[in-house]
Amino acid sequence: MLEQLLIFTRGGLILWTCKELGNALKGSPIDALIRSCLLEERSGDSAFNYDAAGASYTLKWTFHNELGLIFVAIYQRILHLLYVDDLLSMVKREFSELYHPKRTYYEDFDDIFRQLQKEAEARAEEMKKSKPQAKPVESLTKKEGQIANKKKGVLLAGKEKVSSKDDASEGNHTNGHKLENGNSNGRELGTKTTHADVKKSVPESGAFDVSKLRKLRSKASKKMDTFSKAPKVEQNKKTTKKNRVWDDSPSESKLDFTDPMAEKGTEAVVVVDQGESMMDREEIVSSDSEIDEDEEESGKPDNKKRGWFSSMFQSIAGKTVLEKSDLEPALKALKDRLMTKNVAEEIAEKLCESVAASLEGKKLGSFTRISSTVQAAMEEALLRILTPKRSVDILREVHAAKEQGKPYVVVFVGVNGVGKSTNLAKVAYWLLQHNISVMMAACDTFRSGAVEQLRTHACRLQIPIFEKGYEKDPAVVAKEAIQEASRNHSDVVLVDTAGRMQDNEPLMRALSKLINLNGPDLVLFVGEALVGNDAVDQLSKFNQKLADLSTSSSPMLIDGILLTKFDTIDDKVGAALSMVYISGAPVMFVGCGQSYTDLKKLNVKSIVKTLLK
Amino acid sequence: MEQWLNQVFITQEVYVALAVLFFTSVLFLLFRLFRRTKSNTIVLAGLSGSGKTVLFYQLQDGSSHQGTVTSMDPNEGSFVLHSETSKKGKIKPVHVVDVPGHSRLRPKLDEFLSQAAGLVFVVDALDFLPNCRAAAEYLYDILTKASVVNKRIPVLILCNKTDKVTAHSKDFIRKQLEKEIDKLRTSRNAVSEADISNEFTLGVSGQSFMFSHCVNKVTVGESSGMTGEISQVEQFIREHVKS
Repeated sequence: MLEQLLIFTRGGLILWTCKELGNALKGSPIDALIRSCLLEERSGDSAFNYDAAGASYTLKWTFHNELGLIFVAIYQRILHLLYVDDLLSMVKREFSELYHPKRTYYEDFDDIFRQLQKEAEARAEEMKKSKPQAKPVESLTKKEGQIANKKKGVLLAGKEKVSSKDDASEGNHTNGHKLENGNSNGRELGTKTTHADVKKSVPESGAFDVSKLRKLRSKASKKMDTFSKAPKVEQNKKTTKKNRVWDDSPSESKLDFTDPMAEKGTEAVVVVDQGESMMDREEIVSSDSEIDEDEEESGKPDNKKRGWFSSMFQSIAGKTVLEKSDLEPALKALKDRLMTKNVAEEIAEKLCESVAASLEGKKLGSFTRISSTVQAAMEEALLRILTPKRSVDILREVHAAKEQGKPYVVVFVGVNGVGKSTNLAKVAYWLLQHNISVMMAACDTFRSGAVEQLRTHACRLQIPIFEKGYEKDPAVVAKEAIQEASRNHSDVVLVDTAGRMQDNEPLMRALSKLINLNGPDLVLFVGEALVGNDAVDQLSKFNQKLADLSTSSSPMLIDGILLTKFDTIDDKVGAALSMVYISGAPVMFVGCGQSYTDLKKLNVKSIVKTLLK
Repeated sequence: MEQWLNQVFITQEVYVALAVLFFTSVLFLLFRLFRRTKSNTIVLAGLSGSGKTVLFYQLQDGSSHQGTVTSMDPNEGSFVLHSETSKKGKIKPVHVVDVPGHSRLRPKLDEFLSQAAGLVFVVDALDFLPNCRAAAEYLYDILTKASVVNKRIPVLILCNKTDKVTAHSKDFIRKQLEKEIDKLRTSRNAVSEADISNEFTLGVSGQSFMFSHCVNKVTVGESSGMTGEISQVEQFIREHVKS
């Protein structure tokens, strides 16, 4: 059952909740949803899972952007309620008619909701019962695909025939088989095969082909007509034979694909097929609608060509409401622009979806263009993402740790060659300048020369270094270093680790051990600004491995990002965005040069400006 | 002769045009200045979950309705305070803005600060200690903003949810915040000069920080949004927005 359904404004005022469902929710799933999903530009997702003590909920939501309303439904995760999406869209429709900005109570919506819920439940029941009824719709759509396939197959077969003109009769034969395959597929999908059917579909598929071949085809169809149902099995056998003959032809694989299906024209297969379709059905519909949108889009340029006057008029008059198809071209351009700035493709895509979700249904003001509206929305979204949600004031935290008499431990992690040791030295230099005593711990016990490299930095900066040589367990070295630091009252311990690829399981396990054993105050991911699409993989895998391989219930994840080589990338600053979006951690430092002083804070506003330039 | 006359006329026209332009621009500037001085905007700020939105609706409607959730957009409204609606005579409405407290939405505050006549910083008195540092940081950011310092925007630190038994007293909260800001002052001034967001230093150097050191007036008050006990806010608003 539905746990709760809420309607609230973007400002945060709850307008309506269902009193009948008035179960007390455990924890605060709504606030969690808003904070960790909607405000993180993840509203393009379909559902949000919330776990609290003794409860696990799934939340679904929908926006009404023009009125600034949000509709959220909450239900127990174990119940897969299928009607929730349906119900939400109905509630949205009905409620937006009632809504008035000055009104804050909507008692009269109780009855409407009750009715809507009943309706939605009934429809869900019906859908469950009417599995067989759902069949025709599905088979139709599938059939369309089949026809397209058939067309391909026929064309290919046609080509084949051209190549083997001298052996026309055999060609004829094969053609007939092709068509036979297509038809038997159609039958398998629920249309009973009769002779009439075969007759019908043969000319149909023939229409796709070149007219020259039609004659031959009709001959073949005649041949086919003469076949009765009984020898069909025989025929199938024949096809396998034929197939063997053209083993090296490219069309082979495609046709082979359909063959086994045709052979298994039994009831059982059909039933299994339908069983899956219930779940798939929506998907199919949605993919269809996508196709429709594509078509609309492809039709759009024509609209644009029709004249700038109409678009001008539209921009002056102000368009009624923004639809997804209106936004699509502008969003695509924006996505491309983000990608040229080295933002990972996946992230650019998600961001655009989220921006689309926030704009869809909004009214376009007069004298504004869609592209500028989209750009403004994107700018706001980027600013929101890059604004850190946790404090980036490390000095403050160091002082707090000092008061407790503990050293503040920072672990630097990252893939190979991004500049962990170099930037560790820069951070050490920066801390030293603020009268904080620093100690380095050389826990890269793997790469030769790593300890020496760190020792050189330590000598230049005149700070102590804790080292145990190579081939030691880095977790133990780090632990001893921290003990040493609390003995000689160092304020900060900077732990250098070996670089590792995110897929290297044993090394990731070692890192997880190091972090869990020592419980550092800050896990700093060092990533280079040059990275493109791989940023997503690196950060998500590091985070995931740290979570998976940890034994404690609340694993330590990446708390912050140090972006290196920032001076080399000119305006391709997209890596900063990709990393922050994926991990949710802020960029704490930016390394931008070769000397110790080249450590900066991230200037969020300039990054946003550069990204949208 | 004719040419000379013509020239005179043309120059005269130019002068007239210039005069008109000058006159309108002066009027426009005056108008803007006039509006600036009579700003009636009160900004509600504070951490997420401290009760700003409830306070906003208490001021507007005198009721918290059916509860609130985390805000995603600012709430804005020009209205006559609910407690004053029964009063007779013409009362000037107050423009109240409730800025979301989520840290990702903080940049929005700057938009409203430039026209603020007063700022109410809402602190959760019930759940104060875990959020103390975050609250202090936010307050520090606000108090060091150029727009706040230059225009001397008065700030009311409002300890909300005082109806609850376990809520901290306002003196305790004030002391804790002062202590935290004092620490922040040393650490923030040290942060590298690359991206300076805090344009001003707070308080008197060499002394531990007190709110009385601020150039703008900082006061501390108490309220309870849920029970509607908000007289100190209303008092603050009426002090700085004349009715």
